[in-house]
Formats: sequence, structure tokens, C-alpha cells
Amino acid sequence: MNDFLDQLETCVPALRRYARALTRNADLADDLVQDCLERAISRRGLFRPTGPVRAWLFTILLNLHRNALRASHRRGETVDIDMVPELSTPAAQPGHIALAEMARAIDTLPLEQKEALLLVALEGLAYKEAADILDIPLGTLMSRLGRARTALRALTGAPAEPHLRTVK
Amino acid sequence: MSEITRDQLMAYADGQLPEPERAAMEAFLAANPDAAADVALLQRQSDAIRTLFGPVGAETVPARLKPRRLAAEMARRRSRNWGWAAAAIVLVGLGLGAGWFARPLFDAQPISATLIADAIHAHAVYVAENRHAVEVGADDSEHLSTWLSNRLDTTLGMPDLGTEGFTLVGGRLLPGTEYAGGRAAQLMYENTIKQRITIYVTSALADGAPAYQFASYEGAEAFYWANARITCTVVGTLPEEQMRAVAGSVYRQLTEGDFGAGRPYRG
Repeated sequence: MNDFLDQLETCVPALRRYARALTRNADLADDLVQDCLERAISRRGLFRPTGPVRAWLFTILLNLHRNALRASHRRGETVDIDMVPELSTPAAQPGHIALAEMARAIDTLPLEQKEALLLVALEGLAYKEAADILDIPLGTLMSRLGRARTALRALTGAPAEPHLRTVK
Repeated sequence: MSEITRDQLMAYADGQLPEPERAAMEAFLAANPDAAADVALLQRQSDAIRTLFGPVGAETVPARLKPRRLAAEMARRRSRNWGWAAAAIVLVGLGLGAGWFARPLFDAQPISATLIADAIHAHAVYVAENRHAVEVGADDSEHLSTWLSNRLDTTLGMPDLGTEGFTLVGGRLLPGTEYAGGRAAQLMYENTIKQRITIYVTSALADGAPAYQFASYEGAEAFYWANARITCTVVGTLPEEQMRAVAGSVYRQLTEGDFGAGRPYRG
């Protein structure tokens, strides 16, 4: 039991980070993580699948997030002002992508692409693990990632900018 | 290695291309600057995403997200359930009784009568509680404010009634009439001689029209008002003059800013 709680605890920072990136609202994100942890604690005996706790937690979090989105669809979204990246971000320097622009671009992605992209790019999960968490085949994951990145590329105005073709 | 796919480029950029393919990929990229630029762009995307959100993972985790604390709270809640079952029976009894005696309030009355009656019932039930008077205590007032604001879909700050001699005990979420969002927040305050008053807040009624009402029922005084953002009922059993002072202070604090440029008031 205490082992289990320790395992949960080590996952909390990653869950908060992922939830924040998904919701872009600090309070909503923490509420989501709290609901996720409570659900995990109450289900630990009967329903916990064998396998890494981290993947299971991400699956719970994603389900809760989807449910919450469905429930609040008509209310419109709230974005915490602190979470809006600095609007005064200076113009992109050669080889850099403006962060504010990137944040807005991610927000416009369809949910399924955003979920997949953040698992891989932000959380650094292996493709296989991300696909398991999302309960989709590897090929589907790859195609979501590909579409997400193509969209980001178009939205952050990258292809037309010659300086973005320089290789670090 | 004649065929390089998009997926392979992406896997390389993500550091997830298995070893034998990686060496071949590096040779390919050296000979194909366009593909190398694509890979660099993918990596910059990932860098930007990590720069945006990575720092959240290094923040101090709030106490409410500590698994041990959550587990302890959940265990406590479970053991309380029997108490709640008993309380529910009492509540139903109270509701029936109060509903019967409150009939005059409901006869062809506007929705405000329901809200006032709900506020008075909730007051009667919870001021009598000692250990479980509130769901979230004043020591966690920031969370309380955020939580209730989210649940009511409006900004709800905690009024400061220090001048009137009352301090916040805490608050709870209650089911409410469907005409005002289906939920209500109850805030409880107490003075040094253990007198308690409660503030019952819901989101606005459909018409959002301003309204003011005063009701006295079974020794409890209730001050009700509604505006475009909330309805609020202050309930207590203090002498009328003292009740007016408290209600006036709550009113000023909860409506300040409502008519301004949309800047939320500070609770």
C-alpha cells in the first residue's frame, strides 16, 4: 500500500505537467490530477492492471480529461491568465520557434493529436508506451503524431522561413 | 536504406529509432540537407513544447496532491459514511417538516423564495454541526475559493467580515435549485462567542435581474439579493441591526466590481 503511494507520488510532477499542457489552466490541471490520484487510490486493489503505474495513471487522467471536456463543452474554456505565455515574446530569432505561437498552435490541434504529441514530445514516452496509454495501435499513434507535427509546422509559420532551414 | 519514411525521420528526431537504422539515418541526413532540416525542425518543435511546459514538473507539488494525504482523507471519508447516512435521514425529516411549515413561502412565490428557504434550511442543518460544519476549512481558503468558483461557474471570493467580528470557518458545496445552476455554495462564519452566520451563494438566475428581499423565518433572518452574476442569501439569528451590518458588508464585498469593467472583485 505504501509502496503504491510512493509510486504515485513520483508520478505527480509528470501528471501535473501533462495536465497543465492539456488544459492550459493551473487550477483545472491540479483538479484533474487530484481526481486522477483519488481514482487510482480507490481502485488500486481490484482494478489496477499489471504493468507500470505511470501508464495506468496517464490513462486515467486522459479519460477524466475527456469526460470533463464533454461535460463543459457548452461552457467554453477558461484559460488562466498566468498560463498564457508571454505575449511579448520577441520575434523569432533564426532557428527558434516563438513560444507563444507554439502554445497557440498546440491549442488548435484536435484533442487526439494533442494527447499523443504531448505524451511523446513533452513526457518523452516511448511510442509503444504512448500507444498503450491511448489504447491505439502503433501505426495510429504515428499518424497522429505526423499530422500534429505537420499542423504545428504550418501554424508556426516554419516552412516559409528560410532561417528555419539552418541545422543546429 | 533507399526508402526513408516520414515516420523514420520523426522517430530519429524523437530519439526512438533503433540502433541499426540510426547509423544509416545519420548517413542519409549527411547527404540530404533538406531531410536534415526537417529533422531539426521536428526537434525544435519538441524543444519548444518542453520549454513551455517542462517547468511545471519542477514546481513544488501542492499539499492536496500528496497521495498519502489523499489516501488518509479518503479513508476518513469512508468511515464517515455511516454518519452521513444517519444525517441524511435527519435531513429528509427536517426537509419535510420545514417544507410543510414553509408552505406560505412557496405559495405563488418567485424563485427567490425557494432560494431563501434553501439557504435557511442549509443554515439550520450545518450551524448545528461541530466537527463537520464545513467541507473545506478556512485554512485552505484559497482552494475553497477556487473550488467553489469552478463549481458555480463564477468568481467567488471569501468576504472578510473581520470588522463585524466574524471569521471564516469554511465552506461546502450543496445541491441547489435547478433554476440557479443546480448547485450552491455555503460559507460559514463564526464570532468569538460561537454565533454563526452562513452565506448561501448560487450562480445567477436566468433573468439575471437585480432583486432584493428580506425574510424572517422561525427566528432566522435572511437577506437575499440577486444580480447578473450571483444570488446570495445571508442567514443568521443575530439581532436584526447586527444582521443588517453583516449582510451589508457581504453585499458590498460580493457585488463590488460587478458593475465595473468586469474586473473580478477581491474577496
